[in-house]
Amino acid sequence: MTGQIEQEVKRETGTGTDLWRVIVSPIVWAVHFLFCYVYGAVYCAKAGRDASLAGPTVIIIGATVVALVLIGLSTLHLWKVRGRSLTDDDFEYEHNTPEERHRFLSHVALMLCVLSAVAVLYVAIPMLYLTSCR
Amino acid sequence: MSDDKVEELAQLERTWARPTGWRYWSDVNNSTVGLWYIATAFAFMLFAGALALIIRLQLAVPENNLVSAETYNQVFTLHGTVMMFLFAVPIFEAVAILILPAMLGARDLPFPRLSAFGFWCFLIGGVFVSSSIFFGQAPDAGWFMYPPLSTEQSGIGADVWLLGLTFIEVASIAAAVELIVGVLKCRAPGMHINLTPLYGWYVLIVGAMILFAFPPLIAGDLLFELERLLDWPFFDVTRGGDPILWQHLFWIFGHPEVYIIFLPAIALLAMIVPTFAQRPIAGYSWIVLSALGTGFLSFGLWVHHMFTTGLPSISLGFFSAASEAVAIPTGIQIFAFIATVMLGTVIRSVPMLYCLGALAIFIVGGLTGVMVAVAPFDFQAHDTYVIVAHLHYVLIGGMLFPVMAGVQYYYPFAMGKTLSRNLGIWSFWLMFFGFNVAFLPMHLTGLLGMPRRVFTYGADMGWSWLNLVSTIGAFVFAAGFLVFAWDCVRPKRQQPYVKRNVWNAGTLEWASPVPAPSYGMRSVPTIGSRYPLWDDKDLLPTLDEGRGLLADAREGKRETLVTSVLDARPIQVLRVGAPTWLPMIAAVGLGALFIFSTYKLWWPTAAGGVVFLVAVLRWLWTGAAVIPEKETKDAGGGLELPLYVSGVRSTGWWAMFITMTGDLTAFLSLIFGYFFFWTVHPEFPPIGIDGPGWVWPMVSAAFALGAWGATVAARELNAADRVPLARLALVGGLVSAVLSGAALVAGPVTTGLDPTTNSYPAIVWALVVWIVLHLATGMLMQGYCLARSIYGKMTPRYDADIRNVALYWHFMGFSALLTSLVIGGFPLLA
Amino acid sequence: MVLPAVGASLLLAGCTFEQSALHPAGRDAQELSGLTWFMFAGAVVVWAIVMGVTVYAVLGRKRRRTERFADLFILGGGVAFPTVGLAILLVYGLSLLPNWTSAQAPGLRVHVQAEQYWWRFAYELPDGSRVETANELHLPNDVTAEFVLTSTDVIHSFWIPALGGKMDLIPGRTNLLRLTPTKAGTYRGVCAEFCGPSHTFMAFPVVVHDADGYASWLAAEQAPATSGSELFAASGCAACHTIRGVAETGKVGPDLTHFGRRSTIGAATLVNTRENLLAWLADPQRIKPGAAMPGFASLPETDRAAIADYLMGLK
Repeated sequence: MTGQIEQEVKRETGTGTDLWRVIVSPIVWAVHFLFCYVYGAVYCAKAGRDASLAGPTVIIIGATVVALVLIGLSTLHLWKVRGRSLTDDDFEYEHNTPEERHRFLSHVALMLCVLSAVAVLYVAIPMLYLTSCR
Repeated sequence: MSDDKVEELAQLERTWARPTGWRYWSDVNNSTVGLWYIATAFAFMLFAGALALIIRLQLAVPENNLVSAETYNQVFTLHGTVMMFLFAVPIFEAVAILILPAMLGARDLPFPRLSAFGFWCFLIGGVFVSSSIFFGQAPDAGWFMYPPLSTEQSGIGADVWLLGLTFIEVASIAAAVELIVGVLKCRAPGMHINLTPLYGWYVLIVGAMILFAFPPLIAGDLLFELERLLDWPFFDVTRGGDPILWQHLFWIFGHPEVYIIFLPAIALLAMIVPTFAQRPIAGYSWIVLSALGTGFLSFGLWVHHMFTTGLPSISLGFFSAASEAVAIPTGIQIFAFIATVMLGTVIRSVPMLYCLGALAIFIVGGLTGVMVAVAPFDFQAHDTYVIVAHLHYVLIGGMLFPVMAGVQYYYPFAMGKTLSRNLGIWSFWLMFFGFNVAFLPMHLTGLLGMPRRVFTYGADMGWSWLNLVSTIGAFVFAAGFLVFAWDCVRPKRQQPYVKRNVWNAGTLEWASPVPAPSYGMRSVPTIGSRYPLWDDKDLLPTLDEGRGLLADAREGKRETLVTSVLDARPIQVLRVGAPTWLPMIAAVGLGALFIFSTYKLWWPTAAGGVVFLVAVLRWLWTGAAVIPEKETKDAGGGLELPLYVSGVRSTGWWAMFITMTGDLTAFLSLIFGYFFFWTVHPEFPPIGIDGPGWVWPMVSAAFALGAWGATVAARELNAADRVPLARLALVGGLVSAVLSGAALVAGPVTTGLDPTTNSYPAIVWALVVWIVLHLATGMLMQGYCLARSIYGKMTPRYDADIRNVALYWHFMGFSALLTSLVIGGFPLLA
Repeated sequence: MVLPAVGASLLLAGCTFEQSALHPAGRDAQELSGLTWFMFAGAVVVWAIVMGVTVYAVLGRKRRRTERFADLFILGGGVAFPTVGLAILLVYGLSLLPNWTSAQAPGLRVHVQAEQYWWRFAYELPDGSRVETANELHLPNDVTAEFVLTSTDVIHSFWIPALGGKMDLIPGRTNLLRLTPTKAGTYRGVCAEFCGPSHTFMAFPVVVHDADGYASWLAAEQAPATSGSELFAASGCAACHTIRGVAETGKVGPDLTHFGRRSTIGAATLVNTRENLLAWLADPQRIKPGAAMPGFASLPETDRAAIADYLMGLK
């Protein structure tokens, strides 16, 4: 009995997209966001409020590129797993199959990638203008 | 019906019977506790609403002196506090406890006694906080209690606020544990993660958010109370403190909290809209992803409450950006609801009316939210009536109206009777109209310069008419709510019971007969669709004839099914708690501890602590991880399921994991405090204050690792059937933990760190105290396992206790190690 | 929002709107009111469209729609539209964030210290010396003024809606705020962060002068008082209040050197009339709960009258 259960658990989590996979891209957003905020705040706290933001701008834009690449990789993987468009299409299928579960989780994960990418880009917008720590 | 089936039914009825007479209050079943919870939350809401009317009366005309400034300050502080902490958050827990098990096809939540404990905590803490105003001792520094006003100038009200709310936060975290495990592990067989009702998804996400949002406030409360009680200067600038630290900790909690309130309410819409559109929700996965996205993004918004504190523009920019981004997933949810309505044929009903009202109001709040998220606009709008208007549009459109829609919708589920259609329509229009008359003008009042939290204003300011209109609207709004309240409580004896599934809904909670039996469903069905009642015509007969799973209670024990996380395959028959007074006694003990310590009555405080500890230990000893009389049980259809599992597959392990995740968040918030002081001070640690040195912290870390290792070893030895050695390891762990704590304290003591002199020693001591308290808890757990082993309640086969305790020690070991590295190591670097 | 605003403005035609963000008289306030109206207009349009679609969805005649339609509807309305709209708003809105350095020197620097429940203003002169006054702010038009904001007790917030956004005054921190008035006139500033029982009574008149008017005001403010009063010292007033040239030891309370020139008493709590001043001297706590000033009801009424006359005469 126990062995059978373990097999089932393995089957559920070991293939395709599981719940953790889904939250990869928002976690990338969170790490990027926290990095930008903490780095900017500590930089301005230690360098003084007249300090130039030239250095931090480069670093934050670099971090943004890294975050976008990571999200892009995740998107690419999901795209392959799913091999479909951004829309839901959920109505075309019977829902109670493991395949459908994968399809569902992939769609959620895929769209979270898009949302996270937008949020990451938004976070970089202030760097377009700001030149000082004021 | 065959004799077998008759007997099964009798077993179920006997086993799940509600206690009668005065023992009714010892009930722990979700259907009873959920109702208590909802009624209590609404009672607090009425109280806070009455306070709001006092506010509006005072502001109706300029230069009014209905109440004094001091009273007014208590009134608005308590209004905000009660609405937020005693209504908006608890109503989520309340509704979820009531409806979630039926929706998922479970007989009860996995830890019914924990729900009951949470409820009693909520009731006691809530009454304590609310009643303070009748003694003129209510908190009076605003619901976010900014120091130094609250730490240095407030009376006992600040302590009432702090301790009362810490106590209620405990209830919230208890509910989060319960609900997360419920959604992940207690779904009906076949209810794959993508078939889970959207409400379940929302509850899961909100539960997770609570784990990361509430603990920072608990950490903040700890620092706050240490300053008030022991004069440790975390927020006192004359001794190196900084009031902004509180603002960070408060709002790291406070902003996600808005979404913790909003998401479960919108979840009710996600259940109601498909029913009245008579079709499945459009964009199921869109809604799930946007709820998830909102959950994440909501943690990147907190500084938008601090836009005017003088932070660098770069910080403001990041938080403005994230605050705008969160509008996207919110919009997706709204568009999914509209799409559902478009595709279906709408049945006009009272719940649907409330849904539409909610949408109309909430969108205004959302749009003004998008506006105030733009930092420069907030420079004008912050702390004015624009914000008052905005937050009420968000909360009333995003929480109150959806919850009222939910009450209208679920009233027949809970009570078996419907509410009056006429009264519902009356109350809706009174509330909708009254609300907008009250709050729409406030946008203008604010832009015309009226700050919030002023108890009066001059006649020449140009705000008089606007305020009078707002007051009139507020009373119309209140009248509408009273109509609703009357409709809920009016006697309905004459009224017949409604027919089963009165709204022709598709989800499982409507499968129960009317009136609902205490055991819930006759038997547990296997689910194959998102709307089983619509899609599976055989479902009800299968259920009713007891052909589903778990159709009996042969052993006289309350049982529910545990299934796997993703595909909901049955993996265990879980025995859940029966009625007992222990949760109530534990809550009374904990309540006494918090309440008496507010008044610095130390003996009663200690007595409360002892009562709490004894009650909890007894509760665990007799009710948790009980060794069953047989290995497996036939759940029906030849499905033999284990009655006892331990480790990662057990619900208890998950509960521990979830609790400790929250606990870790609180701990990391304290670490954040340490580094926050580093960023605001040019010299940190301050020159002239040495300590705690690196030697003692490292010794402490070594012993903590020893205790950790010993506990893990005990787990392995026990599993390997080497019970005496396992016990020895536990004893070794205990000793090592004592030594670790002693060494940790020795550091600051030997170097003479006095926590009252400066924020640096204070934060070091706060971390030390935190770890020592956790070591003490860890030792209690080791001792508990030792005792369980000796008394034969924990064996190599039945080892849930030691597995859960080892899990605790993973977190404990990590926290202790990090603390030692920070307090011992960081001064060497800085 | 526009219609009610117009309607209300008509209703309130008699009022002066000295404390209104919608009646800008400064550069920041001007820019921000532009942003405000832009956003409100946008919000009204978005609200009307979304609710229009919703009402149509509920009441409108049903056409057969596919699920594909629903999907595209969500993608377009819920994802594409807000993503673009919010990006535009962010790019516009964030361009108004403060972005200067001390290298760009302000035309004037005023040190503002908030205390429960009043304002200590100190004008920094070109030689670095300071002219202290309280509870009434005078500014030259078209000159960027930098406010150096500090607090000694709790958190306050410095807000002159007609000139621009607010900034908190936080114990232990120094915040800087720059504002540029663009229209001479009288406005009103206020404490925006709740600071205790008399938070309501913590405001100040703001007078924006043309260049000459400001210069003559400053010159007069700089001058010491021309007359002294035995009673002022003997009654204990001087323990807290400074009157330059007369009694300079009291530092706890507001400077009263040119009290007679101010238009209000007690940080814009009362209009500065003899009657109000007498009431204030007798029992400030009744008028302003929690104020630090003790009541002088115990003084003979004639003494209070004499002190009031003296203070009113400090022009």
